[in-house]
Amino acid sequence: MPDGDIVFDDRVKVMAPLSAENQFHVPITVDATGLENVEEIIAFADLNPIPLVLTVRPKQALAYIGFRLKLQQTSPIHVGVKTADGVWHVGGAIVDAAGGGCTAPAAAHGNSNWMQTLGETRALASRESDANARMTLRMRHPMDTGLAVGIPAFYLNELVVKNDAGDVIAQVDMYEPVSENPTLTLKPRVGRESDTLRVSTRDTEGNTYGFPLPIPAATDL
Amino acid sequence: MKTKQTLLAFAGSLALGVAGFSTSANALDVTIDDIMNDQASVGDILSYGLGPRAQRYSPLDTLTKDNIKNLYPVWSFSFGGEKQRGQESQPLIKDGVMYVTGSYSRMWAIDIATGEELWQYDARLPEGILPCCDVVNRGAAILGDKVFFGTLDAKIVALDAKTGKVIWRKTIGDFEAGYSYTAAPLIVPTEAHGPLVLTGNSGGEFGIVGAVEARHPDTGEMIWRRPTIEGHMGMLKGEETTMTGTKNETWPGDMWQNGGGATWNGGTYDPGTKLAYFGTSNPAPWNSNLRPGDNKWSSSRIAINPENGEIEWGFQSTPHDGWDYDGVNEFISFDMNVDGETVKAGATADRNGFFYVLDRTNGEFISGTPFVKDITWAEGIDENGRPIYNMDNYPGDPAASADGKKGKAVFAIPSFLGGKNWMPMAYSQKTNNFYIPSNEWGMDLWNEPVTYKKGAAYMGAGFTIKPLFDDYIGSLKAMDPATGEIKWEYKNKAPLWGGVLTTAGGLVFTGTPEGYLKAFDDETGEELWKFQTGTGIVSSPITWEQDGEQYVAIVAGWGGAVPLWGGEVAKVVSYLNQGGSVWVFKVPEGLASR
Repeated sequence: MPDGDIVFDDRVKVMAPLSAENQFHVPITVDATGLENVEEIIAFADLNPIPLVLTVRPKQALAYIGFRLKLQQTSPIHVGVKTADGVWHVGGAIVDAAGGGCTAPAAAHGNSNWMQTLGETRALASRESDANARMTLRMRHPMDTGLAVGIPAFYLNELVVKNDAGDVIAQVDMYEPVSENPTLTLKPRVGRESDTLRVSTRDTEGNTYGFPLPIPAATDL
Repeated sequence: MKTKQTLLAFAGSLALGVAGFSTSANALDVTIDDIMNDQASVGDILSYGLGPRAQRYSPLDTLTKDNIKNLYPVWSFSFGGEKQRGQESQPLIKDGVMYVTGSYSRMWAIDIATGEELWQYDARLPEGILPCCDVVNRGAAILGDKVFFGTLDAKIVALDAKTGKVIWRKTIGDFEAGYSYTAAPLIVPTEAHGPLVLTGNSGGEFGIVGAVEARHPDTGEMIWRRPTIEGHMGMLKGEETTMTGTKNETWPGDMWQNGGGATWNGGTYDPGTKLAYFGTSNPAPWNSNLRPGDNKWSSSRIAINPENGEIEWGFQSTPHDGWDYDGVNEFISFDMNVDGETVKAGATADRNGFFYVLDRTNGEFISGTPFVKDITWAEGIDENGRPIYNMDNYPGDPAASADGKKGKAVFAIPSFLGGKNWMPMAYSQKTNNFYIPSNEWGMDLWNEPVTYKKGAAYMGAGFTIKPLFDDYIGSLKAMDPATGEIKWEYKNKAPLWGGVLTTAGGLVFTGTPEGYLKAFDDETGEELWKFQTGTGIVSSPITWEQDGEQYVAIVAGWGGAVPLWGGEVAKVVSYLNQGGSVWVFKVPEGLASR
């Protein structure tokens, strides 16, 4: 954890299954909307060979993220949330797991032409309230950790969401433990007017992917 | 809750602006002037060939014929991994850091003071890459704060030199059609566009079309593209420009569409003429009976104007090649003294066994001299530089055979792996000699029918390589380019497959498949020093100065085309073990003066 005071705080809610049904896809939801002025959210799986999972800077988004991670063994999942006063608020959960989530080859590699579908995306955006939307996306990517024998690390490492005006809504830095075919949920703040979210991502080989995601106006509700 | 949902399914990769990357306080800043001045500045190595002319000559003279006996290893660095294979890379050196590439499109940055790794980059290669001749890489280029290198799936990638992170990555060709890339990129200055990163391509055995492409170093944006085979259109800033040659002038029918001419061994640049010199591979298919004509610009040297990608001149060393005599070998600019006059010359030692000297300003032929023994395919070179073919020994047309499946076989010298293959020679400004890593071998060769199919070998020929002599294949020769005289020869049991380096200290370095890095007297050929690296050497040595001491480095790791294609030569190389490492040498403190 970087510099700054650290406090355990119940307002950092980390929701996770008690036991990983599938250690390649362990769903985690972080809700820190009870905190004001959140600048950064960092998630770790403490006992993973590569602990750092992702970092979110919710510039104009709620302090909320849903994602899936690979778990190598039973481990605490810790989430640090930094507020504008420099304090890190920490919450967590323990997930029981069988072994092997990070060191097995991605399922994609069972198919020799997996690269042809790289970056294929399904995305869903909806309005949750007058002030925020909810977006979920899933992108085809093997998210190779580099720990499976003979397969170099290769993963989506940047995701940026902007609004139509070009303001940054959220930035997400992803690391090796994010699950294959990453599934992410964010809650962008939007006005009552219709808007279009511009999502752009990039992987460690410099491949870039981008798409628009329309948000209906509040009057359409 | 009443919500209106929007469902989107989207595939593909829109090119978006790449996010900014941080530059550290001590960011590298290699300028184009630094690269142009690389040969004279002995503290770094910023180009493939120790300078844009690729003379592989260092003005360092700390190491001499007398003290070379005291050269000892400082460290060795293992490339690791389960996949080793051929290591043909020449490292770059900047600010105490070595940048070295390896098999399977990997690259490392190493702290020279300690031998410790700073970062490693492993390209994520797709299944189904089609490298013809081992999974090698020959080196990187460096400019600004980036290092550039090509990968086996025909991409060029720009990495942050400090971190090894990808800044951009662009496609040179379709790997499923047989394109790949193994040469070091070439960086050249231009007035119109600033410095550009030039790449060739590989895949002449798959019916690809050779090309040279120029990209902007910051973004990877393609500035121009020049195909090597006549009939194909060039590009400049996204617009079609001129056609290469005249369609069907030297190619029949539509054979030019899959005509080969791959620029797989990279290029050189002369700051004097401001021309980039690239060589082109065999025409496709190998079966020459299918493509009557000279088949330009296959098996040629072409001089390209980097401002616009236009071909200023071409010289075809093997018109209508029927032996896989690629013309890719490096064209080295040098000033030749003839009767007191300085000639702006360039030299190249061809796969076909002849050493050519050309006028590097206009491509005019000056001389062509055999540098290997007993050449059979041609009687010699005429006054215009055209081979005098030996038509009695020409591989026959399968269509003329009884069953149409196999043409008349011939025994040809040199073999298709060439009098000299990819391994770069060196030119000494001290002795004015070229030091040529060559091989003495021949082949049985016959043609077969073939049709083009995407991603399949497009050759139409069969072959078996055979040694000519019992005791050696490899032959390192010192040649006077003005007279064609061979001054000395070192014979090696196994075929030589590594590059050469020569220094103002009077030394000639090269490695052998048997695992030795060797140093020779540049005037006599006497072997002065050797060191066993533990695996075969098929790469190019370098030397530089750091903290007042002269260093030497070589990449080790047996592989390349010989073990894959070597026919009867396999007998002398089958016992050699693979590896993957880089060795660094210097004279230990206190021994230098002895």
